[in-house]
Amino acid sequence: MNTLGMLNRRGFLRGLGAAVSLPALESFRPLIAADTARALATTASGAPLRMAYLYIPNGVNVEHWRPSGTTSGYKMGKTFKSMEEHRDDFQIFTGFEQQFAAPGGDGPGDHARGVATFLTSTRARKTAGSDINLGMSVDQLAANAIGSQTRLPSLELSTDGVRKSGACDSGYSCAYQFNLSWRSENQPMTPESNPRAVFERLFGAGSSKERAESLGRRYAAKKSMLDFIAHDAKALHRRLGRTDQHKLDEYLTGVREIEKQIEKTEAMGLPADPGVPAPTDKPGSYQEHMRLMMDMMVLAFKTDSTRISTFLMAHDGSNRSFNEIGVSDGHHNISHHQGNRDNLKKIAKIDEFYMQQLSYFLGQLKNTEDVDGKSLLHNSMIVYGGCISDGDRHNHDDLPIVVAGHGGGAFKPGRHVDLGENVPMSNLYLRMLDELGVKQKRFGDSTGALRKI
Amino acid sequence: MALVGISRSSRRYDAQGLRKTHMLSTRYIHLIASVGCLVPAFANPEESYEKQVLPILEDYCFSCHGEGISKGKFSMDEFKDLTTHLSDRKHWLPVWQNVRSQIMPPSDEDQLSVAEKKKLLAWIESDVFKLDPENPDPGRVTIRRLNRNEYQNAVYDLLGVDYDTKEVFPPDDTGYGFDNIGDVLSISPLLMEKYIAAADDVVALALPEGAAAQVPRIDIEGRSFVASGDPKTTGLWLPFVKSAEVRVDQRIEWDGDYQITVEYAIKGANEATVHEALMKVTAGGALVGEESLGWDQRQTIQLTGKVPLKKGQQSFQVKLTPARQPAAGEEELNLTIQRVIVQGPLGGDQKEYSKGYKMIFVDGPAPEDPAARDRYAKKIMRSFVSRAFRKPIDGPTIDRLVDIVKEVDRQPGKEFEDGLKQAIATCLASPRFLFRVEIQPEPNNPGKIVRLDEYSIAARLSFFLWASVPDDELLSLAFNKKLRANLHQQIDRMLEDPRSQRMIRNFTGQWLQARDVESVPVSAKDILGLETNREASLRFDVRLRSDMRTETEMLFDFILRKDRPVEELISARYSFLNGRLADFYGIKGVEGEDFQPVDLTAHPERGGLLTQGTVLMVTSNPTRTSPVKRGLFVLDNLLGTPAPPAPPNVPALEEAKAKIGDELTMREKMEIHRKSPDCRGCHARMDPIGLGMENFDALGQFRTTEHGKKIDTGGELLTGEKFTDVAELKEILATKRRTDFYRCLSEKLLTFAIGRGVEYYDATTIDQLVERLNENDGKLRELIYGIVESAPFQKRRGDD
Repeated sequence: MNTLGMLNRRGFLRGLGAAVSLPALESFRPLIAADTARALATTASGAPLRMAYLYIPNGVNVEHWRPSGTTSGYKMGKTFKSMEEHRDDFQIFTGFEQQFAAPGGDGPGDHARGVATFLTSTRARKTAGSDINLGMSVDQLAANAIGSQTRLPSLELSTDGVRKSGACDSGYSCAYQFNLSWRSENQPMTPESNPRAVFERLFGAGSSKERAESLGRRYAAKKSMLDFIAHDAKALHRRLGRTDQHKLDEYLTGVREIEKQIEKTEAMGLPADPGVPAPTDKPGSYQEHMRLMMDMMVLAFKTDSTRISTFLMAHDGSNRSFNEIGVSDGHHNISHHQGNRDNLKKIAKIDEFYMQQLSYFLGQLKNTEDVDGKSLLHNSMIVYGGCISDGDRHNHDDLPIVVAGHGGGAFKPGRHVDLGENVPMSNLYLRMLDELGVKQKRFGDSTGALRKI
Repeated sequence: MALVGISRSSRRYDAQGLRKTHMLSTRYIHLIASVGCLVPAFANPEESYEKQVLPILEDYCFSCHGEGISKGKFSMDEFKDLTTHLSDRKHWLPVWQNVRSQIMPPSDEDQLSVAEKKKLLAWIESDVFKLDPENPDPGRVTIRRLNRNEYQNAVYDLLGVDYDTKEVFPPDDTGYGFDNIGDVLSISPLLMEKYIAAADDVVALALPEGAAAQVPRIDIEGRSFVASGDPKTTGLWLPFVKSAEVRVDQRIEWDGDYQITVEYAIKGANEATVHEALMKVTAGGALVGEESLGWDQRQTIQLTGKVPLKKGQQSFQVKLTPARQPAAGEEELNLTIQRVIVQGPLGGDQKEYSKGYKMIFVDGPAPEDPAARDRYAKKIMRSFVSRAFRKPIDGPTIDRLVDIVKEVDRQPGKEFEDGLKQAIATCLASPRFLFRVEIQPEPNNPGKIVRLDEYSIAARLSFFLWASVPDDELLSLAFNKKLRANLHQQIDRMLEDPRSQRMIRNFTGQWLQARDVESVPVSAKDILGLETNREASLRFDVRLRSDMRTETEMLFDFILRKDRPVEELISARYSFLNGRLADFYGIKGVEGEDFQPVDLTAHPERGGLLTQGTVLMVTSNPTRTSPVKRGLFVLDNLLGTPAPPAPPNVPALEEAKAKIGDELTMREKMEIHRKSPDCRGCHARMDPIGLGMENFDALGQFRTTEHGKKIDTGGELLTGEKFTDVAELKEILATKRRTDFYRCLSEKLLTFAIGRGVEYYDATTIDQLVERLNENDGKLRELIYGIVESAPFQKRRGDD
């Protein structure tokens, strides 16, 4: 296997110096495709097509969530109050399931399995660490296929800056519970929780003048370092056992990704100034934190720095208390509501709170014009929801799922779609991959690409 | 499929006679066990199984897992061939695990006697697992990436740089309850980017730009700033609501201009508030700067100014004046001065080298002569790399690094120092720094067991006890192959070293979740029954959280260093408190910010982990206690007999369906649920322990009533011991259940020390560790010796 030698590192490094000057915003935007054949991850009009997944934990108050009536004349549940203004831009789905999040003989651990299964549609091997095994997640599958078109193949975000100490959910390694996105069967894509770090990764550090330069400088002087460490890693690799080699492969992949970034920087130039200051690294509230992360997604999409993103708004099982909306109880604790009306009311409040953040996100996307004159929201596929339906039952069917955006015109938002039966989430993912032009016969437990969307 | 049904013994129906037979054989086994051989030899495994094991299974297991019944899809008498069955590790592993941790038989079924349990387990270990106590399988530790804590310590120990990795690297994933497990620590492309960037940042901090020699610098700790006439008010905590003036006198050596940097943080509220105050800093009577302070979550904020100072005692002063009040419901803010850095005289001749510079440029500035320069580069790199990579490094590697130095040195406008910086940064990004590599011959042959080389032992020791790279003494012992011969002496030395604090902090932080007490969501307002968060923050704030953590760490520290029996972690009649925490606990006579030993004879309700704020808080929900979580905590982390996890799709027990307004005590709520037969079995394990701790609320404050009703803390452990309150519960855990505690602690510390989960083949090692504790009055130091000397620490085998 050749992990590094394929790339002509020196070649693109030589060219890098010339590319450091600031290009105009338009120059790194994707060109409107002139060809009739649709390029990968583009809409019919040739604009980039984006895909994002936002995860909410601990299930929802099903009664407040559920819409009444189907198709376009439907009535939204109370949880969706803040979403009225986006009525024509999203659809609610009833009937999705993630069967592999259910115990299936593995016993408890629904929260760990929930996060692990949500985007992988595979069963997490029950282990506290020695043999983690899951499948590649849908975002990474897409990133593998289309990631070469943007500076970053994908962007993984969360709001959890620390991990809980001690054991995680019922014998599952914490890796399952805190990572939505998986690059391979045992390598999670660590999410970033610091908004400023995300910004600097996208646009460079320092004042607006210094940013692009700092980003260019970040890797330009790295030739000898990358050469040295790749050499070190390969020399080491030969002397290790299988499992150790696998860990070193992760390292080598990381090195190669950096080399690709340098290569892309040469090809695409440095990102333009996004026109906004870097955000704080210590948001004042949970809401601010989530919104800053959403702002970063919008910036990344707008500048076409990536077309794929995942956002774990909180890990499943999170016992966060929501003082900002007057719910001081722990979320996980009250999600086991036992039919208690007080608990259900509080859950509904939390659901509404999360929904307001989605509404904010959609608003930002809608107000941003894309290269084809449409909105970013029009040219996006945004999945919002969780892998548990009712927190008390821990059931993984009848999932609370919203798909926002028009998929560049391919989707028919403004509806409630009752699938009428249990349909694997992977059917939705398959359809989204189709839209991106990523040909895939199956994904996880899929039974065919979703048509009703 | 043809299944062989094992003929069933008729003794099953003959309970009386059976008990007699068993008592006989029990005594027999006990005798044998005491001379060190647990299973009497039989001609073949089949015979040994049928005579020794089958009767136990028939009596205790088959009613659910035999004779056509296979509860939980588990049958113990359906198999094709007895010989294969008896070596089927997959089948016997859960039997061994569940019997060992008393999960099976369920608590409402007949329980195995101690001897029967011992017999069954010993048989599985010897006949099925084929464990050889003389030659235990050391297992295999997957190559370990430094976690963010180890990285931070390593760059501090190598370069003298304070680099806060929590601000930079994403959190490390955990397994088996710890964040240093090789299998779980992965490198995502994001982390790799961060390693590359961090390498440069660290080196830039170690060797600042420009001249190597810097102006002299004095650091004044924030706690030395004291209000005159009020020694309790220090720079560590200045409430925005109160005017305050704190000062410290510091000797200045030379006349001149000085740069003063105040490093501070704003604490008290996790969410934004409008609270404001004005800070004014003066030095030697001159104004350093003024700043309007408001809500700010940064870990460290700086205020910098230049002032002229005269030689002699000079007064440094910080004055705080209240400004805007917080809005209704908002928490109050406080100023914490971390330190004040005095640098100067500026532009003078007085210069000194930075710590990092002194650590790298061992012979001072580089010589002019090119050949001498190369030699110097080689010397520096050899010394640095062998410490960073934890072993002597081959010539070609050094040459390649020196090439990097020279290449940069040659560039216009670059210096020798720039070249070294580049080479050192390269080392910090190398897999040989970032991974703890252990090379062995035939790495893919699971039958190949080797003793680790002494450098690997040095690294294992230092990462275990210091969470960092080995020092020169360890490396030089390894070089002379003298480390193995001096393990005790080195362990003692390492425990004396302040770096061992990191082990205590990391181990208690994760084993006892003491890390989490600083961030666990809690609503003090609800627990204390107050109207506003502001009132609550006057009674409970972040300082108390950190005090609690300190209390836990100091107890562990004391027991380790003073060679106290480790069960005193549970039963101690003393603790370490400062005035604030003692007040909060309702203990009088302790004053001041400093922690001090406190005799708790007069407070039988306090003392030991079960009564510490740390454990009590991390096992509570934000608004109330959770006896289930507390019981589970004790079972998981102290007794090592975890309750089987709740069956899926059964809601957590304790949310009572009580009508609104109906105030039940926790015990009453729990009892409603314990009526359900599905739940009773497991909850009989957890609940009594948790309810025994009900005299402590969710913040760890002592109480005797709840909703006006007296709290009943009496209960009984599954193993039969009765208690009436937490003091008696503690005593039982520390005496009658002491061996369980020793076993549990041994497993946790072994996991932490070697970086992998404890497996079935470690049973021998764990037994030996428990024995060692038993024989040495429970000295924690002996457990550390034992772990370091054990096969899993000293050896490794190939991958399977």
